[in-house]
Amino acid sequence: METEIEIRNLSKTYDGKVKALCGVNLSIPKGKIFALLGPNGAGKTTLVSILTMLCKQDNGDFSFSGIDSHRKTRDIFKSVGVASQDNELDPKIKTEELIIFQARLFGMSKNEAVKRSQTLINDFGLTPYKDKKTETLSGGNKRRLHCALALVNNPSLLFLDEPTVGMDPMARKNFWDTVGEINRQRNLTIFLTTQYLEEADKYAHNLALLIDGTIHYEGSVANFKKKVIPHKESSLEESYLEYVKSHSERQIEISKKEEIQ
Amino acid sequence: MNCTGFLLIGRGIKKILREPMAPLTGLGMSIFFLLVYNAGIGGIGFLPEFGDGGYLSFLFPLAIVSLAMGSSSGAGQNLHNDMQSGYFRRMYMTPAPRWAFIAAPLLADGLSTLLMTGLLIAVGAIFGVKFQFGAISVIGILALSLLWGITLSGFSAGIMLRTGKPQGAQIVTNAVFPLIFLTTTFLPRELITSRWLVAISWGNPVTYVLEANRYLLAGTSPKYFLMIGIAVLSFGALSAILFALSGSKKALN
Repeated sequence: METEIEIRNLSKTYDGKVKALCGVNLSIPKGKIFALLGPNGAGKTTLVSILTMLCKQDNGDFSFSGIDSHRKTRDIFKSVGVASQDNELDPKIKTEELIIFQARLFGMSKNEAVKRSQTLINDFGLTPYKDKKTETLSGGNKRRLHCALALVNNPSLLFLDEPTVGMDPMARKNFWDTVGEINRQRNLTIFLTTQYLEEADKYAHNLALLIDGTIHYEGSVANFKKKVIPHKESSLEESYLEYVKSHSERQIEISKKEEIQ
Repeated sequence: MNCTGFLLIGRGIKKILREPMAPLTGLGMSIFFLLVYNAGIGGIGFLPEFGDGGYLSFLFPLAIVSLAMGSSSGAGQNLHNDMQSGYFRRMYMTPAPRWAFIAAPLLADGLSTLLMTGLLIAVGAIFGVKFQFGAISVIGILALSLLWGITLSGFSAGIMLRTGKPQGAQIVTNAVFPLIFLTTTFLPRELITSRWLVAISWGNPVTYVLEANRYLLAGTSPKYFLMIGIAVLSFGALSAILFALSGSKKALN
């Protein structure tokens, strides 16, 4: 299977003390929806920040579709879309105007940018809001616009960091229908981080579990569920909670033993 | 500058046009001080030290210097708004050149300063300010004003990018404000009686901005002041741009 993201031995420590990532290795297949799961403080945001070039790793490297991370960030941004946790919208600009401007920042001509904006406005159901300033949009619509902006450059890889926060159930379903459709039609690789485990269960093909900066599992969603709770059919949420709970119990035992010694 | 750079400058200009109060207030204040000071102490304009341009022409550079203080806060403010909304980060994750995100709002501020200076020159001309080289004087004053505006704007934006607070412009204004009075703003050096003020004026960069303008206006300052003024302002503008550019990474963190 062709690989979209290859991560090799990635490490990051903050202020020389807090270890956020401890030698992370991951191989993410092309055209799949990949979910990065883990409790708060596991290092997910750090990993996404490094992969989206917003911060630099201490050690290790990574590549996107063979483009090495040491190459120019401009080359990487051409093929990557990012929808991070915050909406990152210019509040004073109209929806359509913002998409066109964003497309032009990626080097599209005015005509290309207008066409691209029309496609994205249709895909994400933003037609009734295209002439509205982004500050007037509801939370769910802001989120959809945010994701539309992340796709403006026709990326081959899309980072979605908690993409459906603030959306009502209907908006979430519509969002995943749209993203799923784009994933299938264009063979788009999606790197997802989410706390909604039922979304990861339903839409993700593969997952990695990151705890305390270390990868504890990498593989298919189905295998993870089988591995953690082998005797019955379980949801991802049940398996995840079971794994995290038993991991933290093991950690407490280890700490106790260390204290005694 | 490439296409993306022009796009970003256009965006900066649109933002200034949407909220034009700061530059317009700066223009209003400059005209007010010009007319009020001239009405109050303009009577001494007959003295030979003021040349044949009178006191109004002598005082006019004060209006230019104070004008830029009003119209150079836009870049810092706009960058701050982009950081607050997170849009700065989104723009950063495009192939557009990094320097353009900072340089474009500075240039937009510079263009705003140019426009306001043009209006100020028109008002000055109506009230009888002398431009000894005609159009060349006007172009020279606009160029000096542009450099001065970029200097203030760059330092304001640089402080804002480092501190994350929108008060960058206020800090720069507070730093520059005393300098306006510690120089030959109201009287030529020959008429200033305090030795300490004369001594300070030589080391005050604002002196060279004022005197360079005076050479272009009524010619009450020698030509070498224009050369020094251009050098001081070019150095100031370049330093300010570099200061602002080096703050962009900090802003992202």
